[in-house]
Amino acid sequence: MTEVPKIVYDRLRAVLPDRAGPEQTHPDADLLTAFAEQALSATERNGVLEHLALCGDCREAIALALPPADIVIAPIATETEAVRATPIPAKFERNFLTAFAWPSLRWAALAAGVAVAASVLLMHPGKLNQATLSSVNRPVATTAPPASAPQIAPSSVPASSVPASSVPASSIPSSSVASSPTDESAISVRTSARTNEARPNSEMRPFKKLNAGEPVTPSHQAERGMLLAENKNKSAQAGKWSATPSAGTAAFDAPTSRRATETVEVSGAAAAVEVAPSADDTLMALNETPAIERAKPALPEPALQEKEMKANGQQKTQAAVVPGLARPQARAMMSSAKLASPVSQSLAHRVTWVITGGILQRSPDSGQSWQDALRAHHPLLCYASHDEDVWAGGQAGTLFHSADGGVTWVQVQPSIKAQQLSSDVTHIDVRGNVPGNVRGDVHGDVRGPAEIVLSTSNGEIWSSADGGRTWEKK
Amino acid sequence: MPKSAQSGHQANVAALYERSGAAAYGVSVEQFAAILDEILRKYFTQNSAHDPDPNSARASAEQKADFCAGLRLEELALARACAAGNERAWQDFIARYRQKLHGMALHITRDGAHAAELADSLFADLYGVNTRDGIRRSKLVFYTGRGSLEGWLRTVMAQEFINRYRKQKRTVSLEEQTEAGVQFAAAVQEPAYTSDRTSDQRLEAATDEALAELLSEDRFTLASYYLDGRTLAEIARTLGLHESSVSRRLDRLATGLRKRILAGLRMQGMSHAQATEALETDVRDIGLNLRSRLTQDSGAKTFPEGKVPAQDAGKGINE
Repeated sequence: MTEVPKIVYDRLRAVLPDRAGPEQTHPDADLLTAFAEQALSATERNGVLEHLALCGDCREAIALALPPADIVIAPIATETEAVRATPIPAKFERNFLTAFAWPSLRWAALAAGVAVAASVLLMHPGKLNQATLSSVNRPVATTAPPASAPQIAPSSVPASSVPASSVPASSIPSSSVASSPTDESAISVRTSARTNEARPNSEMRPFKKLNAGEPVTPSHQAERGMLLAENKNKSAQAGKWSATPSAGTAAFDAPTSRRATETVEVSGAAAAVEVAPSADDTLMALNETPAIERAKPALPEPALQEKEMKANGQQKTQAAVVPGLARPQARAMMSSAKLASPVSQSLAHRVTWVITGGILQRSPDSGQSWQDALRAHHPLLCYASHDEDVWAGGQAGTLFHSADGGVTWVQVQPSIKAQQLSSDVTHIDVRGNVPGNVRGDVHGDVRGPAEIVLSTSNGEIWSSADGGRTWEKK
Repeated sequence: MPKSAQSGHQANVAALYERSGAAAYGVSVEQFAAILDEILRKYFTQNSAHDPDPNSARASAEQKADFCAGLRLEELALARACAAGNERAWQDFIARYRQKLHGMALHITRDGAHAAELADSLFADLYGVNTRDGIRRSKLVFYTGRGSLEGWLRTVMAQEFINRYRKQKRTVSLEEQTEAGVQFAAAVQEPAYTSDRTSDQRLEAATDEALAELLSEDRFTLASYYLDGRTLAEIARTLGLHESSVSRRLDRLATGLRKRILAGLRMQGMSHAQATEALETDVRDIGLNLRSRLTQDSGAKTFPEGKVPAQDAGKGINE
């Protein structure tokens, strides 16, 4: 604050005897109280102020009579004034106050910044990977565009239920991922889905999803895996529990090459229509394993617990498929194919599906809110869900499959020799792959791909006993 | 007073009496009207500074009605009933303010023993143990309801503290202070106040002129901040402003005062360099001399016991 010349101090003090005189009278307590409570008229107030400007005793009486609560209105100012009240030289006082105030503000600002950054990291741990992933994904878009690329609504990516390792483009066929540079929705789906892969989600999918239907070369895939692992490590450094679950899951499932091989087969089925399948997928899975193994040091406690479970042989199969505790119960539930209007619900996730206006919608909260999960070129007519396996069928042989609860979708084209499914899919039935099981009555463990049965508008029955890899027509 | 005006006044008094709840304390309408008349006489004396428009009788009547309506009637009735010795009024007063009095005293004195003594002393004054001409006279008769009764009690207590304890503090013996661990430093021999007398007079004249041009509120702000060391919050609370407004005002005043003083010095024939030098030189000298100038040492009581007549207070304010 600007200092007044010291002569002002002296003259303020010196004018008192001249103005007030030796026989000065003071305003009584009534007037002073009314003045302090702003209850005086303008004339009275000016008169009291005139006296107060000259009378230190009345100023002190008013100051002492202030209610305690009012004095503590601005603690900062009080503190400053307390410092100022000590007899310090003006220059030193200014420097002292500045030195006292600014570091506090600076550290407070720094602390606030750290808190904001930490909260952002905790809220969106995968955001750090976005730029890298986008740049990594760009080259993928150079492959030939497909004949019909499905539109996956960006809003179909529920943040809460995204599996950790299901996001990579491996589960999306080349037709939907690499169709064209303008197909930003697919990329955005993958990118935004990756933002969730580092969450400590008990619903994490195993590593097998990483390799499903990826039409890239093994070396490229391995490079991506390395980048992914690096990003996860970075995320793990930034937020302790942010990246580790997925890394842990990947490390846990990496040795299970059987799973990887199975998913390669599924992707091969999908790629049979779009891109020629190849043994690259297998190589890709093998090549990716070391890269993911690099994330092992960042294993969190859940991953370690899973490892222990595996070592102990307790619920081995369930743990290998889904780390979630509710998963075995969910797996016991038999999905049933339904036409558009009925609503199916998974007990494990409380995820509800419905088709409205040819669009598959998903509700993560038992129907309280809905999000568009899948929008295809042709209107969708029916769907079936079994745990996180979701199938959706529509007009003109439209068939989509999601193995991660609707986060990513793969267009499946059932075909037998030269004949493809082209009629409307009106009914889908998904059955667990347990010998002797009956539709809607699956109990116990479910292993391997489910049996898919499609009914079409022209009375055809298409079925697949290997999760859609190969089809039979009845 | 015309009959219509008189009936209007009576109706107004009756309404105010109803509002005050004075009947519960045994105060009659006539007594209440007398109290109001006394207060009106105090604040609406002819040529009094408190009379907004003393030359207009009609305006004055309206303003008196507004003035009475703005009084703290309920607390006024309570205080006056206590002063009259009404038992129920004292019960209410004790229930409302007895505990607060101790809190106020502790806030003012910052010392438990002194707080209890101050509060008890004030309570005795309020009850009226002091007799004048054999009549018990309570201090509460001086309450006029302009502000809150609680605020009035705080102010009275603060004045009592200033009169009594602040001066007693200076009379503590050296032996007591030594026992209390107070270290006495050798008296600092202040250098002789040597300055160019002509320059000093011109500087004082310019400063006085600059200060005289200020509003009374600005002078109060300057004195409170620079002389009394009050905080911005305290000044803001006293003036009913925001703290930042006081801060900005102080900045503006300091800058403006410096400019005006320099301008005044130049008007008296100084060059800009000379005026600046005189101002800076005086800063050093006055800074050393200020300590003694700021020290108050008066043997007389600052606030007289009892009340100050309204007209006297008005004169003091006007003069």
